[in-house]
Amino acid sequence: MVIEMEEFEPKIVGFLCNWCSYAGADLAGTSRIQYPPNIRIIKVMCSGSVDSVYIMRALLEGADGVFIGGCHPGDCHYLDGNYKARRKAVLLKSILETLGLEKDRIWIRWVSASEGQKFADTMKEMTEEIKKLGPNPIGKYWNI
Amino acid sequence: MIDNVLKIKNGDTTGSVNDLLKEFLKSKKLQALLVMQEVPSKKMSFPVLISNPDKLNSNIFAPVLPVSTATIVSKITKVESSSKPIGVIMRSCQINALVELVKLNQANLDNIIIIGVDCLGTFSINTYSDFQEKSNPTEYILDSFKKKRDVVKYLRSACYTCKNPIPNNADIIIGLYGIDIQKELLIQINTKKGKELIHDIKLVTSKDIKNRENAIKEIREEKTKNRTKLIQEKSNIKGINALAKFFDKCVNCHNCMKVCPICYCKECLFESSVFNLEANKYISKAKKKGLFKMPNDSLLFHTTRMNHMVVSCVGCGLCEQACPSNIPLMDVITPIGDNAQKEFKYNPGSDIKEKIPMVIYKEDEYQEVGEK
Repeated sequence: MVIEMEEFEPKIVGFLCNWCSYAGADLAGTSRIQYPPNIRIIKVMCSGSVDSVYIMRALLEGADGVFIGGCHPGDCHYLDGNYKARRKAVLLKSILETLGLEKDRIWIRWVSASEGQKFADTMKEMTEEIKKLGPNPIGKYWNI
Repeated sequence: MIDNVLKIKNGDTTGSVNDLLKEFLKSKKLQALLVMQEVPSKKMSFPVLISNPDKLNSNIFAPVLPVSTATIVSKITKVESSSKPIGVIMRSCQINALVELVKLNQANLDNIIIIGVDCLGTFSINTYSDFQEKSNPTEYILDSFKKKRDVVKYLRSACYTCKNPIPNNADIIIGLYGIDIQKELLIQINTKKGKELIHDIKLVTSKDIKNRENAIKEIREEKTKNRTKLIQEKSNIKGINALAKFFDKCVNCHNCMKVCPICYCKECLFESSVFNLEANKYISKAKKKGLFKMPNDSLLFHTTRMNHMVVSCVGCGLCEQACPSNIPLMDVITPIGDNAQKEFKYNPGSDIKEKIPMVIYKEDEYQEVGEK
C-alpha cells in the first residue's frame, strides 16, 4: 500500500503597503499572472507601520512565514517608512533566534505598483523557501 | 571635570552628604530635591521630593531601588518642564534610563540637575526590608565597601552583572570608588550646571584621585566578567521549548512592563481591548490547536515587549524584581539586549544627542535583510 503524503502547503501572512506592494499584487491579479495561493494578504498603509506585534502574533499563532512588502527605497509615500520597516525587521530577526525560529521566515521585499510580475515571482520564491524550512514548530504549542 | 572632596565629619558618611544637600536647599539654588529617604518605619527607603531642608534626612546610599527614579523624573517633567531648579539624585542605570526617556520625549531636563551617585549595588525590596545582618542595609553596604567584604549574596542579579556602576551624563557625581570613604567623598563637577550649584560651597580641591581610575577599571572589569558569564550560561534558553518553559510561571500580570522605565506607553497594547475577542473567536482559536492556555498570549506579550524596549534596555532589572512568580527575566533580556544593542552599535544612556536606532536609518544599510 502506498500512502501518499500530502505536500506541506505553507501559510504565509503578508503585510503589503497601500501605495506600492498592494497595488503590485493587484496588478499581478488583474494581469492574470499565476502565483502560489499561500499568502494571506493584509493591506497596511505603510510597511513602516507594521509593528513587531503583528509579526510575532502571526508566527506564534503558527504562520509559517511573514512577508512584508514596501515601496522601493526612496519611493516611500511617507518618505522613510520602508527604511524604518527594515530596521524593525533587523531587530525582530535578532530576537527570533532566541525563539528558535529561522530568520528566513520573515521576508521584507520592495515591490512597486508596476511590478506585478515581481510580486508573483517573489511569492513563488518565498513559498518554495518556506516549504524547504518546513512547518513552523510553534504552531503545535498550546501553552505559550 | 573638576574633582573636589567632601570631608566626612565624625565618620558619618550619609550625615555629611546630608549637610551638603541641605546647603543646596537653604541657599535656594535648588527648589526641591529628589532623593532616597527612609520611610518612618525604617523598613524601606523611597525617593522623596523634598523642599524643606529641615525635613531632609536622606539615605542616598540605600542599596535598594524600589521604583525607577527615571520614571519619577519623567512624571515630574512631562506635563510641563520645570521652571525652577530641581536636583535629582540617581544611580547610573537610572540616569541612563532618564537619558533614553528624554530621547523618547518622555522627560525634560530643563532646570533638572542630575546628581549621580556611584552605585555599590542594590538588594531586592524584601532583602532590604527584612535585612538579616545586625546593622541596617545602608551601613552594611558602606561598611562592606570600606572593608572590601563581599556582598554578592545580597545583590540583585541585575546589579551583579551591572554594565557600569559609575554615573554617566551626571552634572555632579558623588564618588565612592577609589576613595577612602572613611575620610572623604569625591564631589566631581562635570558640567556648567553642576559648577553653578557647587561654586560657593566649601569643598577641598582634590590632588590625588589616581586610585579612582584604577578602582573604576577594576569594578567595570569584574562586572563585565559576571555579565559575560551570565550571557554564556544562559545561552541554553533558546528555542520555543526552552522559552515556553522559562515563561511557564507567567500569570500575565504585566508588572514587568509597569515598572520598566523604558516601557512608557500610556496605554499598553496588551492592556487595551485589542485582545478581547468574541466567544466564537476563542472557540475557533481552541479548535485550531485543540486547546490553549488561559490567560493567553503571554509569550506574545514578552516577545513584543522585548521588541519594543530591548534596544534601550539599561539593565536595571526592575522587571525581574517586580515579577510575582520570580521569573529571572534578566536571564533572557540581558543576552537579547546585548545582541540587539551590538547589532545597532548602540549603548543606551551613553550619549543624549545620539538618536535611538529605531527612528534613524541609512539608505544603504542592512541590504541583506531587505534586498540587494
